[in-house]
Amino acid sequence: MQVIQHQELASSQASITFSSIPQTFTDLYLLFSVRPDSATTDTQISFNGNTSNFSRRHLFGNGSSAGSSSAADRYVGSNPNSSFTANTFGNHSIYIPNYTASQAKSYSADSVAENNSATSVQVILAGLWNDTAAITSLSLSVFGSGNFVQYSSATLYGILKGSDGTTVVS
Amino acid sequence: MPTNTYTALATVTLGGSDAEVVFSNIGSGYRDLILVIQAKSSTGNPAVVARFNSDTGTNYPYVRMTGNGSSAASASITTDTFLNIAAAFGINTSGNGNIIAQIMDYSATDKHKPVLVRNGDAGLGVEAIAGRWASTSAITSVTVFNTGSISFATGSTFSLYGVIA
Repeated sequence: MQVIQHQELASSQASITFSSIPQTFTDLYLLFSVRPDSATTDTQISFNGNTSNFSRRHLFGNGSSAGSSSAADRYVGSNPNSSFTANTFGNHSIYIPNYTASQAKSYSADSVAENNSATSVQVILAGLWNDTAAITSLSLSVFGSGNFVQYSSATLYGILKGSDGTTVVS
Repeated sequence: MPTNTYTALATVTLGGSDAEVVFSNIGSGYRDLILVIQAKSSTGNPAVVARFNSDTGTNYPYVRMTGNGSSAASASITTDTFLNIAAAFGINTSGNGNIIAQIMDYSATDKHKPVLVRNGDAGLGVEAIAGRWASTSAITSVTVFNTGSISFATGSTFSLYGVIA
């Protein structure tokens, strides 16, 4: 796993974008810690500037119950919003296998957020971008209105498949 | 140059259908293994399972939770002859799902081997599994297959990585 790029916001911003993603890896791994400046809690993703052909299905728990939902949208996780405990950010990871392949792009997302024991949510999600284009850019934004606050951060990693010359696969 | 923390051990993209994929001769030079699968089935959405070192004993307990888009559920198995790494959501004919399994301390000889799995397909559901191979043997092979005797289709990809502590 190699770092492609790390970003940390010096001021509030509508989105965090990774562009010109190298096409030399096999999978992408995105780690991010963000907080919206609005009442909205959710984060969404887009690929190559494309906001169409997304779907997802997820499992969530809020400390008292668990549930599941699905939608044709770009939601990837939840965060503390502007009314939550100060200085708390949502934490997320997204794994995107075979991001350069000429096939639909599936991704797995994990997300946690809490409000100093008053509110909490954990999400695991299966997503799909039903597009065969290689992913050359990706962007995170608030699902709804608002910006990410200062100190929100994201790191994009590349993972390259291959062989160590010893392990055999058959 | 940053240190590469995921070392590629082996990978295969199936050129034809195959009933199982075996990673063997796995060295002991890492702390953990990461198995990434993006596969299609020849038909249906069979459960995908794994065995370590070809162990067919009842040495694979696990607990799992699932969400199918409308409801959540959980189940556990105390003894099984394989580790379920995708009960119903990780593989189907579309190939739009994926499976990521983390095998911790795989080469240790003083502990059982914990395994954490995430799998899902946006059209079917999402699943998390915590399992264990009840053996103190170091893992030298991983066999991936499905319980319905259904083949993995052409184009399915299986990649194994080692993570250095």
